Amino acid sequence: MSQQRRVFSRRRVCRFCTDKEIIIDYKDAKTLRNFVTERGKIIPRRIYGTCAKHQRQLTEAVKRARQLALLPYMGNTQF
Amino acid sequence: MRHYETTYILRPNLGEEKFTEIIDRTNAIILNDGGSLIGLDRWGVKRLAYEIDKEIQGYYVYLNYAAPAKTVDEIERIFRIDDRVMRYLTVKLHDAINAADIEVEKQRLEEEVAARSRVQSEESETDEDKEFDDESLEDEENDE
Repeated sequence: MSQQRRVFSRRRVCRFCTDKEIIIDYKDAKTLRNFVTERGKIIPRRIYGTCAKHQRQLTEAVKRARQLALLPYMGNTQF
Repeated sequence: MRHYETTYILRPNLGEEKFTEIIDRTNAIILNDGGSLIGLDRWGVKRLAYEIDKEIQGYYVYLNYAAPAKTVDEIERIFRIDDRVMRYLTVKLHDAINAADIEVEKQRLEEEVAARSRVQSEESETDEDKEFDDESLEDEENDE
């Protein structure tokens, strides 16, 4: 039984919990851009290790930013 | 009184006078209903992340105010009629706000604006936004 155990080197703690400096704000597109992929998708919790509370705030913020055309619904985030 | 913030996007080619006219009209609605303006911030012409009404740029105006709920209805009704306003978004910040809170909020906004103009002058040289998010995403996707 050589069950390959995946190495979980990436079990991170939530960035927003450790660093209180980062405020999640839909108006701050520059910061939000760190939390979406190049194509504009919101990076899931399982990858970033964000806690539920902050991920919720984050998705809300990203969606608001999209409405205001600060972030794209899809397409390149770098412009 | 509730505490709201509204951001709206105007067509960029209207000219400064028209911008001011629309902003003043919006502010007048709030004041007429007995609300009070807390902060007004013109972000100016910014590039849009996607095309809206064939425009690739927009003039952003950010407004922070205390007003009764019906004011928001009225403002949004007018925004919907006026096709010079391309987009708007209103967010309720607090259910109730009193005079003391308004002062505190005013202070906070002023500091924010000051901080931002400081950042803007520095930021032109440093642009190391994203570096680790892409790589971590890639290997995760391979796992699945």
